[in-house]
Amino acid sequence: MNPHLSPFASSRNGSHGPNYSATHAYQSSKLRARNSMTDDTLPGPGPPNGRVEHTDGATEDDPRVVAFRTLFSQSEARLNDFLKHGPPAPVIIPDPAVLQSSKSTSRPVPSSKKPTRAIDEDDYGDDDEDEEEDEAPAIESPLLPKSTGAISRGYASPARLANGSPVKPPLLHRPSAASEGRSTEDARKKAQQDKQAAEEAAKRNFHTMFYTFEHDRAAMLEQQKLDELDRQVEAEVSGDRSKTGPGGNTTQQGSLSSANLGASSLMLKHLLSRIDKYRYMVNAQDSQLRRLISEVRKNRSKWASEEKVGQEELYEAAEKVLQELKANTEQSGPFLNRVNKRDAPDYYTIIKHPMDIGTMLKKLKNFAYKSKKEFVDDLNLIWSNCLKYNTDPNHFLRKKALYMQKQTESLVFLIPDIVIRDRAEVEAEERKMQNLDAELDGLDDSDDEPIMASRGRKAPSKAKKGTSTARKAPPAINEGTPGPETKPNMSHGSSLPPRNGFPRAESDAPMEGIINGFSTPPPGTHTPLGMNGVHMNGTQSQGEGSEVDGAGFSLNDLSQGQEMEYADLEFRTWKQVTKKPRAVAAADRKRLFINHRINPEEPALLRSKAGMRRYIRLQKQIQQAQDSSTDSFAFEDKSEEATDIPGETLAEGVEAAEDDNILPDYYDPVSAVPDIPQRLRWELDAEGKVKNQDEESMHVVPAGLFVAPPSIFGRKMDANIHLMQETRKVCSKIGVVKQMQLQTQMYSNQFQKYDPRPFMEKDIDTTVVSTDLPILAPEVCRATFQRSIGKVFYHAGFEEFHPSALEVATDFMADHFQRLIRTFADFANAPKHIPQEASEQAEVYEHRYTMEDALLHTFNEHAIDLDGLDSYVKDDVERLSLKLGVMNDRMKANLADLLRPALDPSAGADGVGAFNDGSDQFVNGDFAGDIAEDFFGFKELGLDKELGLPSLSVPFHLLHNRMHNAFVAQNQNSSSLTGDSMEQPEAFDPMAKDIADEVIDVARKYFLERLQANNGQPLVEDDDLPPKQRFPKPRLPPNGKITSPRKRPIREQQQLAKKKRKLEEGREETSVNGVVTGVSGGVKPLGKLKLDAPPSNPPMADPEKEDEAGALMSPPESM
Amino acid sequence: MADEASKKQKYRTEIQQMMFVSGETGDPSSETTILVEYIVQQQVKELLRRAVELANRRGSRTITPDELMFLYRHDKGKLSRLLHFLQWKDVRKNLNESEDRAGGDATLAAEEEALAAGPVGGPAAGGDPKKGAPAASGAAKKARVTLPWDVSSFFSEQVPPRDDEDDEEEREMNAATLERLKYADERTKHMSKEAYMHWSECRQASFTYRKGKRFREWVNMDAIVGTKPHDDVLDILGFLTFEMVQTLTEEALKVKMEEDQDKKLMGGDSGAAGKSRKRKREVGLFDGPEEEREPVRKEHIQEGFRRLQQPTPKQIYGAKVLGRPILANLRLI
Repeated sequence: MNPHLSPFASSRNGSHGPNYSATHAYQSSKLRARNSMTDDTLPGPGPPNGRVEHTDGATEDDPRVVAFRTLFSQSEARLNDFLKHGPPAPVIIPDPAVLQSSKSTSRPVPSSKKPTRAIDEDDYGDDDEDEEEDEAPAIESPLLPKSTGAISRGYASPARLANGSPVKPPLLHRPSAASEGRSTEDARKKAQQDKQAAEEAAKRNFHTMFYTFEHDRAAMLEQQKLDELDRQVEAEVSGDRSKTGPGGNTTQQGSLSSANLGASSLMLKHLLSRIDKYRYMVNAQDSQLRRLISEVRKNRSKWASEEKVGQEELYEAAEKVLQELKANTEQSGPFLNRVNKRDAPDYYTIIKHPMDIGTMLKKLKNFAYKSKKEFVDDLNLIWSNCLKYNTDPNHFLRKKALYMQKQTESLVFLIPDIVIRDRAEVEAEERKMQNLDAELDGLDDSDDEPIMASRGRKAPSKAKKGTSTARKAPPAINEGTPGPETKPNMSHGSSLPPRNGFPRAESDAPMEGIINGFSTPPPGTHTPLGMNGVHMNGTQSQGEGSEVDGAGFSLNDLSQGQEMEYADLEFRTWKQVTKKPRAVAAADRKRLFINHRINPEEPALLRSKAGMRRYIRLQKQIQQAQDSSTDSFAFEDKSEEATDIPGETLAEGVEAAEDDNILPDYYDPVSAVPDIPQRLRWELDAEGKVKNQDEESMHVVPAGLFVAPPSIFGRKMDANIHLMQETRKVCSKIGVVKQMQLQTQMYSNQFQKYDPRPFMEKDIDTTVVSTDLPILAPEVCRATFQRSIGKVFYHAGFEEFHPSALEVATDFMADHFQRLIRTFADFANAPKHIPQEASEQAEVYEHRYTMEDALLHTFNEHAIDLDGLDSYVKDDVERLSLKLGVMNDRMKANLADLLRPALDPSAGADGVGAFNDGSDQFVNGDFAGDIAEDFFGFKELGLDKELGLPSLSVPFHLLHNRMHNAFVAQNQNSSSLTGDSMEQPEAFDPMAKDIADEVIDVARKYFLERLQANNGQPLVEDDDLPPKQRFPKPRLPPNGKITSPRKRPIREQQQLAKKKRKLEEGREETSVNGVVTGVSGGVKPLGKLKLDAPPSNPPMADPEKEDEAGALMSPPESM
Repeated sequence: MADEASKKQKYRTEIQQMMFVSGETGDPSSETTILVEYIVQQQVKELLRRAVELANRRGSRTITPDELMFLYRHDKGKLSRLLHFLQWKDVRKNLNESEDRAGGDATLAAEEEALAAGPVGGPAAGGDPKKGAPAASGAAKKARVTLPWDVSSFFSEQVPPRDDEDDEEEREMNAATLERLKYADERTKHMSKEAYMHWSECRQASFTYRKGKRFREWVNMDAIVGTKPHDDVLDILGFLTFEMVQTLTEEALKVKMEEDQDKKLMGGDSGAAGKSRKRKREVGLFDGPEEEREPVRKEHIQEGFRRLQQPTPKQIYGAKVLGRPILANLRLI
């Protein structure tokens, strides 16, 4: 901070200013630092005593400072004059001279300069006590035993002094600073771009190489250290704030930093969604919008402040640098934290101004830095401290410090040279400027530019550093310009509005500001250069002093040495660039484990949308890269991309743009997992119930998967099977008939009805599945296969088969078919080849085998000969169906023959035709043979030969009755269909008197008698009599054999006979009586009853007669 | 040695006759016939052994024609010829009965002819139509011999034979049978009466006909079968042995023909004998009687037999699937 002043002073001198004793001191200290930093062999612990003394002296300037402050206010007014009259360019040149006579107030510039410095110091000290404590020791030589107050003032001067001497480079560049403002900016940008480009290149390469994870652990540990540091810093900072809370500014900003960011991101989100929604109304392309939004967002950093001009840029850059340095943990490790007293008891005796990265972060967070210079000084203090303490040239920390130093140098010039100022101040300046403008009427530009031009022109002439490359020069200049701005800043402290808040890019404005604000811009410009310039030159330019050069060389050597450690530059880049993400990833991974085991308590890994998008993008990139390289299949892919890209929403694009995760995919494997299909997701509806996602995807298994597919061959087999069943049915009937022939007795359950059911292939029940894949149901498949095999069995003629046989056959066939199909698949999936007949240029791939070929090859492999298949189809199926048909017909005919042997087709449906040709079949009774062999003795007589009777068996149709009974017995429920074929004749009128009168004479008398006997009542028909009074009717069985004559016990017959005799006797009496009565008048009441029985019972009337008839018809044994 | 062998030889004449009928015109050496006889013997023994095995599996101790038919189930041509033979055997038997009753013994020759017609096939036997007439007169109809796996066995009831039924089996005769008949026809076409007599005599050669005892001893049947086999079995064996000799001879002739062709291609460097034979062949028009041709030798029979014993593709595949060597079972020819 304060060192700005001293270089400025020395730069005024334009040489190693001898007028300042401090210059020498500074120089020496600088050299020491340089030596110690750069040169391992030459430990430069050069005693900075002189410097210390000088600082002491400087601190004693205090009263002067006060005076200066008063002078400053006075000179303000003069400045205006100066600006009006004084040509800007010359002003700068005389500055050194002015400086030399610092007390002369004739010139506004010098006068203003000194007071400002003093004021700065004072204010600074007042306001930021704690910060000073940090800073002061850092900058001052540690040997200096100063009170803080003294330090606060003192460090300004030593720095000033120290800077003063080596400020040749600033001098060079300074003149050109303004004019080259733009170019420096460009250069800086360019440097950044270079760096980014290198990073980009490295990133691209990251994806071409697989880096193992073995370095991640180290990275993680380092990162933990860093995080620890960050936390510490954060804690301390917040603690400080709460304690001191010096400026509402800081606290406010601190809270803003997070709150603001959150708000802004949220707002951005809304904005983006809004834009997405009304996308069609926006007349900008996606890329434009993205750029716009990202620009907007970028500006909203946590460092942003309305009040502080330039703060954001400076802090942004400074933080970046710090982070970068910090991130290089291998080297920066020892510098992260304050040196512990336990580690180095004597540290604080040697190092009076300790400084470390953590402290710097803290300061940064507290907005303690007002300019780049302060920041850079602090940084360098770290390294110099280290070098100072560790004097051993071989000490490992020295190496690290040197490395870090080099890093710092390469990074520092990326920081814009800004001095932070209050907005109010800036605005005030602007107002003034406007005034000036009004007065000068556009002379500003012409005025300003000449200045720059002159400076630019002068610079080379003055400085031998003109040789230095353009790239180096700009930073120096760059820093040169803000130099003056820092000065006022310091002098006023935070309480005073910084006057120059302009970014260095606008070279005009700063100049004006400088000129307006202070009369001492030139010295200001030099101050930062002092430090930077030295460092820069140390490494870059040979124009420096020999020592410096040496240091530079040694640094280079060192850096080379460092690089040697990582022979592979790419790998080193990889390590550096990806350190943090890798560390984070490693930490994430580590979190999943506990004692080298997976921690079940740990929450699941989740994919992030961004990660997935990134993955897809990367895939696309790779695809593109491949496409461009091969360029063969580019067309389709490109078109796909074209369609893909618009699909992304704006938000995605922005996200993608900002997400700079540079780790390769394999660090985020979860994101490579494709999205879960919608239907598999676990989603809740509004009521908190799980949504059934399956409805769309569920579908019913199409029917027919588990039945034999319809085919001609299958149909033929089915027909054959059906025919077999039919024939078997006929067979069973024949069997029954034959059995009846043999058996006299039938049992109701003897003949099981043979009623085979037709074969039905049952499909599986309606099944719902959620995939389109084949259904895996081994049991069902096996059962289906078994069914088919059973069908083949049946077709081969087996009516029944043992289940175990079926099982064995199924196993065999399953095995066989598996082999068959595997072989077929092998043939069908044989690698494609280019057919020979195809032309050379057209690379047409085709299957090596057609389906037919593959099938034939498979058959050949499995010894299935086509002849066999052919003969199976022809002989075993087609001819079989013929044979079966014939067999069926013959069976039916056979059955018909068995039932009605005589009934040839000509006999007609009811067999009546059998009598037509005068058949003797029923006459000669050849059917009797079975009842009793040759019952009629036909055979004995040789009649069978004579008549040509084939057999004497009973015709089967005569057994029909038994069969019918058996059938009825078996089918109880079936209603009998044997109805009366004729309709019932009308019932006779009962015989009454009137009817009896009309019958013929012979019968009339009889009926009249009967009626008379019945007392004139109509006679009752025999059939209507009660069963007990009925007379048995004689019946002749169809076979003509009277097997059951009226069986009356002999005694009964005898009784009957007796009765008859009595009756006859009685009749005789009655007849006598009757004669008598007849004579007397025909009334014979007694005889009526007696005579009743005989007429109504004619068969019983005369047993003798009956006996005669029985002798003819009934077998003798019935008597 | 040869003498001993020839002494042991029991069927030299028959084998020679059979070979003659099968196309071997020369006079095969005893060496050849011994080999043929040995092969046939071995085949019959194996056949009987397997038949017994099958019968035992069925639960029966006596072998029936069904077993033998089952063993030849894959050779459809042979099977159909066998069925044909059995049918005509039935005819002969019935004829025998009826004519026995008639008391006529003059039909003996015709009867024998009927038997001879069996092996070669009905249509070729010239006497068939003549003999059909008396057969058709009585109950001696051609009995239908059904195979155990025929359609009729599907059903529990048998249907009575029917006259109008076509003899489908005859149509089943395969190309080999037809070729054989054609060949026989060709050979007999231009034969003199004596030659034809000789031919027809040769056709009646049988291992078993009226030599039942010899045959049984020859194959050691009693030891193998144990119980007395079905009547038909011996007849079927006679038929089958005839077929065996025929098949073997045909195969041997094929071998010999190939050999001759090779010799012809190689040029007549096999000596004067080869030349003279070649010249004879070329002449053609005035070709001498076929008998003059060189008979098949033992080697031809051996090679023919080897060819007939080659494993089928199915056997090879089965061995491959099961991962074991091909079973060297004797194949029935």
